Amino acid sequence: MDNLDIGTGAKVYFRISLFNGAMAIDVTQTTISLFAVSILLIILGIVCGRGLTKRPGKKQVLVEKGVSALYNLVETTMGKHNAKYAPYIGTLFLSSLFGSLIGLTKIFRSTTADLMVVLGWALVTTALCWYEGIRNNGFFKWLKGFAEPIVFILPINIISEVAQPIAMAFRHFGNIAGGGVLMSIVYAALAALSTMVFKGLPATIASVMPPVFQIGIPAVLSLYFDLFSSLIQAFVFSLLTMVYISTNNPPPAPGSRVVKQAEKKAKRKAEKEAAKAAKTAKAAKTAPV
Amino acid sequence: MVDFQVFTDKFESFIGTNFWTMIIAWINLLLVYLILRKFLFKPVKKMIDERQKEVDDMYADAESSKTDAAAMKAEYEERLEKAEEESDEIVRTAIRKAQLKEETILREADEKAARVLARAEEQIELEKKQAVSDIKDEVSGMAISIASAVIARDVSEEEHAQLIDDFISKMGDEND
Repeated sequence: MDNLDIGTGAKVYFRISLFNGAMAIDVTQTTISLFAVSILLIILGIVCGRGLTKRPGKKQVLVEKGVSALYNLVETTMGKHNAKYAPYIGTLFLSSLFGSLIGLTKIFRSTTADLMVVLGWALVTTALCWYEGIRNNGFFKWLKGFAEPIVFILPINIISEVAQPIAMAFRHFGNIAGGGVLMSIVYAALAALSTMVFKGLPATIASVMPPVFQIGIPAVLSLYFDLFSSLIQAFVFSLLTMVYISTNNPPPAPGSRVVKQAEKKAKRKAEKEAAKAAKTAKAAKTAPV
Repeated sequence: MVDFQVFTDKFESFIGTNFWTMIIAWINLLLVYLILRKFLFKPVKKMIDERQKEVDDMYADAESSKTDAAAMKAEYEERLEKAEEESDEIVRTAIRKAQLKEETILREADEKAARVLARAEEQIELEKKQAVSDIKDEVSGMAISIASAVIARDVSEEEHAQLIDDFISKMGDEND
């Protein structure tokens, strides 16, 4: 199976048409890879998170190292108040890394070599940014924030807001897909070189000679374009997500909207509990009669 | 309603625009996020935090025990010193008391001895007197009998009476 034809996207396996063709779902290589990565990660996650003990074994030490590294990274980049995002960042990092690396199997196509996947992830980042912006400022104040400090900056802000997910997506997609394309080109070029070199040999020998230049040389390039690039892009994508979200969710300052809301919530909860306690006390009073 | 159309040689464009891929990516991301959070990140983080707390508690405990032990040691040392002092004091007072008692006993013994001696002397005196008076009686008797034996022949009645009176008066002088 030739997974990465130069200049083409994911192979379409079949199309599911719903409502008499009003809705068509194309199931592609990317779809299959996405599910494959998900299943892999879920199995890995459950296996790694199982049988935790206070005195860890070898496996648990590794897992704990990874998880604490993740939490440390999130807390140093986003602040302690954003530690709740650590599981999402971890998921994003692992999805990206495994999504890129699964292309190495040559059975599956890298999920991140499909623009729509990374664009989807980047849009999630934007959505989280907006959510945090609204939560921190209130909807109207958040909207007004785009036109501050002067109104003329509004178009620039809108463009930057739109550009952010696009830039993120194309950076990741371009690196992985570009790496794949480059590797394909290298393979093709090395095959061509092999045939060129063996041209001098008798036709019968030349036809059975393998493309020897394809052995070894691509491994070095693959190390960079597939392994290193995958790791870097996963890291960059996660880091950008962290930075974008944390700029929209600064540390809670006393008197800010978030703190006020938390106080209000706590107060409401306390009132509710007090009412509940009064009710139970009343019930207890009436019950023995 | 649902139609399947299988392709054998259809590719998306390099920059794919299949919106369903994005939706499937979202679904997968959400699914993996929820499962990893529940089964990996949260339990592992909880375990790490718990262990960290335990270690911190242990260190705090050790620290407090150490200070407690130091305080206890100081207290014991103080107490030991005090006890030594006390024992010295006790010994000293005991010795003093014993000496006092010794003196009292000795004094009392002396007094008692003196008393006993005095009484004994008194007794002796008394007995001596008794003995003397007894002897006097006896001697007087004997004297009379001897005298009567001697005198029976050549002493008149007057001389007899005279002799006895003299004798008795002499005896009485000696007795007093």
